[in-house]
Amino acid sequence: MEKLVKLQIDGIEIKAPAGMNLIDAAERAGIHIPNLCYLKGIKSIGACRLCLVEVEGLKAPVIACNTRVKEGLVVNTKTDKIQEVRKFVIDLILSMHPLDCMTCTKAGVCNLQKYAYDFELKESSFTRKKFGYPVDETNPFIRRDPDYCILCSRCVRVCKEQDTNVLEFMGRGIESKVLTANGRPLQESECTFCGSCVDACPVNALLESDRWRKGREWEYEKVNSTCLLCGNSCDITVSTKDGRIQKINSGAAADSAEKYLCAYGRFGFDSIEAESRLTVPMKRIEGGLQETTWEDALTIVADKLRKAGKEAGFISVAGIENEDALILKKIAKNIVKTKNYDTTISLYGDSESFRNSQKADIDKADLIMLVDLNPSQWDRVLPALDASVRRRVNRGAKLIIINSSDTKIEEVAAVTLKGNVTSGLKGIAKALTGKGLKADKKISAAVKDEEISEDIEKAATLIAEANEPLILSSPSMFEASANIALIKGKVISVGLESNVRGVVLMGLTTEGKTYKEMAGIESGKGQGAKSAVKVLYAVGEAPLQARPEGLEFLIVQNSHLTDLARQADIVLPSATFLEAAGTIVDYMGRLKYLPKVIEPQEESKSHREIFIALAKTMGTKIKLPTEAEVNKAVKVKTKLSFNPFEKREGIDISAAEFIESINASVIKGSRLLWLKEAEKTVSV
Amino acid sequence: MSEEIGTEEKGKKLEDIRKEAEEKACPVQRTLYFIKEFIEGPMCSKCYPCSLGTGEAKIRLIRISQHLKNVDGADIQVLKRIGLNMIEGSFCKKGKDTGKFILEALANSEGEFRQHLSGICPKKECASLVEYAINPELCIMCGKCSEVCQYGAITGEKKQPYLSGYIPFEIRQKRCTKCGECIAVCPTVAIEVTTIQKEELVGKE
Repeated sequence: MEKLVKLQIDGIEIKAPAGMNLIDAAERAGIHIPNLCYLKGIKSIGACRLCLVEVEGLKAPVIACNTRVKEGLVVNTKTDKIQEVRKFVIDLILSMHPLDCMTCTKAGVCNLQKYAYDFELKESSFTRKKFGYPVDETNPFIRRDPDYCILCSRCVRVCKEQDTNVLEFMGRGIESKVLTANGRPLQESECTFCGSCVDACPVNALLESDRWRKGREWEYEKVNSTCLLCGNSCDITVSTKDGRIQKINSGAAADSAEKYLCAYGRFGFDSIEAESRLTVPMKRIEGGLQETTWEDALTIVADKLRKAGKEAGFISVAGIENEDALILKKIAKNIVKTKNYDTTISLYGDSESFRNSQKADIDKADLIMLVDLNPSQWDRVLPALDASVRRRVNRGAKLIIINSSDTKIEEVAAVTLKGNVTSGLKGIAKALTGKGLKADKKISAAVKDEEISEDIEKAATLIAEANEPLILSSPSMFEASANIALIKGKVISVGLESNVRGVVLMGLTTEGKTYKEMAGIESGKGQGAKSAVKVLYAVGEAPLQARPEGLEFLIVQNSHLTDLARQADIVLPSATFLEAAGTIVDYMGRLKYLPKVIEPQEESKSHREIFIALAKTMGTKIKLPTEAEVNKAVKVKTKLSFNPFEKREGIDISAAEFIESINASVIKGSRLLWLKEAEKTVSV
Repeated sequence: MSEEIGTEEKGKKLEDIRKEAEEKACPVQRTLYFIKEFIEGPMCSKCYPCSLGTGEAKIRLIRISQHLKNVDGADIQVLKRIGLNMIEGSFCKKGKDTGKFILEALANSEGEFRQHLSGICPKKECASLVEYAINPELCIMCGKCSEVCQYGAITGEKKQPYLSGYIPFEIRQKRCTKCGECIAVCPTVAIEVTTIQKEELVGKE
């Protein structure tokens, strides 16, 4: 429990955790201290001077954003002197502002507007300053209109904190403005279009490109959910109006390092209504796919599965919700009676590593070790992980990189160990035991011959000094990494898909043929081998281009018409993650709830509804899994145990290609396609 | 207004600027010079009262020094408000000192500020409020002023002993920028600076 201190703000006694600043403390007591440049979680700069408060006993006012609570402090937030400074500042900002609240998208959520209202400023009493800066609206994601900018630098600071460094200040005084390098459009300035700046902008200077006249914030219904497009499973806040999604923002706590959402998560929702979206079942007739009814489609599927029995196989992505996974297993195991049910996890990881992963909070980690992982915002490989780690580093955490190849994130690492990953881990284990940390005898025995380099020694010192070390490992290095966690810290296996942990905990791991065998994938060669099953049921956006060889019948159940679906015999239209309520377990081990944000398009249904209907067609009634059922499956006590320092082999896919491939329909069916084209142009 | 408030000095220090400003006799010119140099130099441009306040102060001082349309006592009131709030609200000493400079100038010479509102610069330093003229009684027609004038604003014919009927030197007001170069070279101090008399007084109060 945090230590609480007592203080008084505007005559109200309040208790706040030690170390909290006055703005946040006052907010707890329902007192709003005006501010424009303050951004929770990010170091205060005290530029706007709106949060000045008077503290009894101090001669001059202090800025609340940068003043910590102290026992017995008596704070006044609304003295005449301070109110005049606030009014003066707002008055000055208004003299440089377009003042078109009546048509401004940010009306209602704009603090400048709020303060102008509070201080009765209909317009500025100062000289009107018009700048007429050019608007950057050459991309479909972010519109930059510097005329609205109030120079709070929030965008510059969030961009810098996650190391994207696209935005910067130019000019002095009233002539300052936020620019990209050389004033180039965003797409030519290494912008990843994550939109963190849009979330940070308090006014209308940075906005989603398509927001104009799509409604103001108060018209939206806001729902918190989780993005299922990659292994980071970021928290999102979805705004809907009239049953359609208008925008998606990062939903993480404002002060968390995880306050981030990549371009896929933020802008990929267009794909829900893409042309390729499947809205009715289809079946193959005379070589072509034609629309049919659910009843007809399910009858055919039921018949094929029943006949195939143990020669049927199910493959699924690991981005499905827990409830879907539970029922999928029931269908496969209990109704179709096949042992062949596997997920994409087996393409890049050992499912046991996800079962044994611990729970952790990256915001508490003061040391992060990335083992055999290469997250990158620029390559969109676990971009949120890259951003969170960089933020933690910028907030004082130390970073250790262990990788056999070059990584971009090592630029911010305190120590980078290149070369053989297992020997790096062994070295660290040995160095740690040398520092008096207790280790299992088996570990000591396994590492006794290891040499300790200067860098290993440095890394071990950092771990030994850290309070909460967090080891994030690729699935293939998990066991070796876990040996370090047995000495100190927590260890997490990081998968590429959103619900790897949930899917494994729900038991969706094959007892028969593997994903590769069913999809006809040969290690290192890709697809081409004969499928190990006769009837294949593919759930979700399978990262497969071709219909596996030798299949008698192929069922594809997905939200979009993919290349694979075009070659299927039956196509079943499923709901997207924004259209189906359920749960997942994210990579950090948190159970996350996804509400149904919008209704599924036309006749599409959630995976589990399709499975239940299919079961019914096959003569078995299965119920929706209850919350208790999911919770029971999730609550598995993990205990780490020693395993040899070895790398699990057989994992040979490119993370970037894989993530792009499981999101192909999202990319092709949304404005993200523009981004892919733009990136191609720039790289050529 | 970039990420951190710093106190790093760029170029001129505040004290240098103050000294240079003191050389100006007109309080409006002195304050304007101080503000302009502050914005160009030591201002860190990071907190609002100072960064935005000086911008507004500069605009108001230019209005006063050039006697622009509708200039009145409100401009002086705004300057006072800026000064006060810069002292109260600025993050660092430089901002507070600049606020003090504005207030001191106003406190010591408010009368002179107000005369500007009527179009009169008593110290004859505000170029827009003065006229240059050649006193024909003192002019010896040496032509030095005409030679030095970059704007071709001085017409006349150099006196030559064997000629008579010369044209006296005269300043063409439309071309004159009041740069002061002619005054510097005139051996007889024949060039005089006079305030432009306004028929109508604009300033209130």
